[in-house]
Amino acid sequence: MTEINTPPEPPEAKTIEIPETARTLPSGEREFMLDVSTSDLEVNMGPQHPATHGVMRILIRTDGEVVTGGQVHLGYLHRCAEKIGENVEWLQYLPYTDRYDYLSAMNNNLGYSLAVEAVMGVEIPRRATLLRTICAELNRIGSHLIAFGTYGLDIGAFTPFFYCFREREWMMALFEKICGARLTYSYIRIGGVFNDAPVGWLKEVERFCDVFEEKWQEYYDLLVVNHIFVQRTAKIGVITPEMAVDYGLTGPMLRGSGIDFDLRRDMPYMAYGEISKAGVYDVPLGRGEKGELGDCWDRVYVRVQEMMESIKIIRWCLGCIEDGPVIGDIPKVLKVPPGEAYVGIENPRGELGHYVASDGGKVAKRCRVRGPSFCNVAVLEKLLPGTFLADSVAIIGSTDVVIGETDR
Amino acid sequence: MKDFDEIYQRLEAIKAPGLLSADRPREGDPEDKTDKGRAGEAFVLIEPAAAKEFLIAVRDDAELAFDILADLTATDPDTEDENFWLNLHLLSLGHGHRLAIKAMVPKADPVVPSMVDAHMAAHFHERECAEMFGITFEGNPDPRNILLPDDWEGHPLRKDYEFPKEYHGISCE
Repeated sequence: MTEINTPPEPPEAKTIEIPETARTLPSGEREFMLDVSTSDLEVNMGPQHPATHGVMRILIRTDGEVVTGGQVHLGYLHRCAEKIGENVEWLQYLPYTDRYDYLSAMNNNLGYSLAVEAVMGVEIPRRATLLRTICAELNRIGSHLIAFGTYGLDIGAFTPFFYCFREREWMMALFEKICGARLTYSYIRIGGVFNDAPVGWLKEVERFCDVFEEKWQEYYDLLVVNHIFVQRTAKIGVITPEMAVDYGLTGPMLRGSGIDFDLRRDMPYMAYGEISKAGVYDVPLGRGEKGELGDCWDRVYVRVQEMMESIKIIRWCLGCIEDGPVIGDIPKVLKVPPGEAYVGIENPRGELGHYVASDGGKVAKRCRVRGPSFCNVAVLEKLLPGTFLADSVAIIGSTDVVIGETDR
Repeated sequence: MKDFDEIYQRLEAIKAPGLLSADRPREGDPEDKTDKGRAGEAFVLIEPAAAKEFLIAVRDDAELAFDILADLTATDPDTEDENFWLNLHLLSLGHGHRLAIKAMVPKADPVVPSMVDAHMAAHFHERECAEMFGITFEGNPDPRNILLPDDWEGHPLRKDYEFPKEYHGISCE
């Protein structure tokens, strides 16, 4: 892919000869087909482009309408999260985790907290675990709503975007009630959660679930099975199961290719083991229903179905949550014993991994973040060549990339 | 799903290339105040030069089947330390188990063969690791900087990294 940076030779100017087969029109003009020779043209998609969902630049080489090469350029939003992690105290780093995948900040808080807790070995109160689960799943719904709404927007369906923001607004209001913030929550803390849910909050979550189940059918009918949408996404950007595994894809990108793997079920953390055993939810998979297995439609389908599965998990948690403490016995200045741990959790975009190493001091020795978008975006360089330029927008959107996370 | 000891026994049984030893969390010595033990998770130590062969061996073994390279990164433990740690984290989709791997890469000559042939997922991780720590991955198909600008000086995640005073006329102080 390095040769993409060398500019192509300009085509030679030609004089056009009118062939004898040319048709004479009544007006006297001659009409004939011209064989147009095209040459490679490099187009910068981004850093500011609606389809890249942030500041990502994709250098695309096109021959007419056909993409012949693509190169992903990252780093426009690099904020040195890992270096900051080595310079601030354990608890102080928590607000920075909100900022990498800003659409699922609760899940990021959770991933970091679990990693530090794995080194410390603290016990989490039951109520805190269930509150964490409810918040993580609510945030998963919010994140998938954006993924699905903006994907419609990318390929020309404007209305679903507003439908999605209607429900997401309620989700954000719920989070505002529990922690005061709308986007960067820092609610899930090391050792539990920041505070208990206010009076009536759990009842409102239940009401949200009831309403969402009804609205979900609207999304499904409006966009997912819409004929125009299916035409734009089926058989486009096919990721075979082998390719998905080789590129280390996770989350809906992996399940869209038909691989039955979900960290919540297969490597359970928190209460998910219990929830999976009770058979509360299913793991939706791409089946190539509308086109080929692993195409863009399958990935969108998996995300949309996952929202409903999250609702089932929330309902289960609401059914068994009881009063109790919400945070364990955690000192103000955290001292983490020497050691290291890697914890991967199922984020809306895939496996969010935190590798933390401590030498027993107040700050981390290493705080590594494995962002799922960073790994998922790598597959674009393989997917783009050979597709049409218009389809490349559909392919980029279907990876559901969040630039805050690829660049960290 | 296997636990760490079963995985380690299997690694010894198939004679995984470059396998050195296992490091398990342990309690501190109550007699010795300086020994605080080690918390967290167990990992295996391997030779960095054989990392690619190791990954292929554990990927193709049916009982281990570590088919996803979840993470590839490095750690600079201390300015005094002679080695970087190369940290690899594997995941098996079929069995649902994980393996943490560590390899010591000497700071004097930080060169590791690229692992792209074993897992394509290594590509972006290697590029990030290379710019952040200055570790060269020999055989990486596109070894440009990925997050940093092409003309960035130094390797930011090294412990002895000095923050730049300015960058293209922009003051950083």
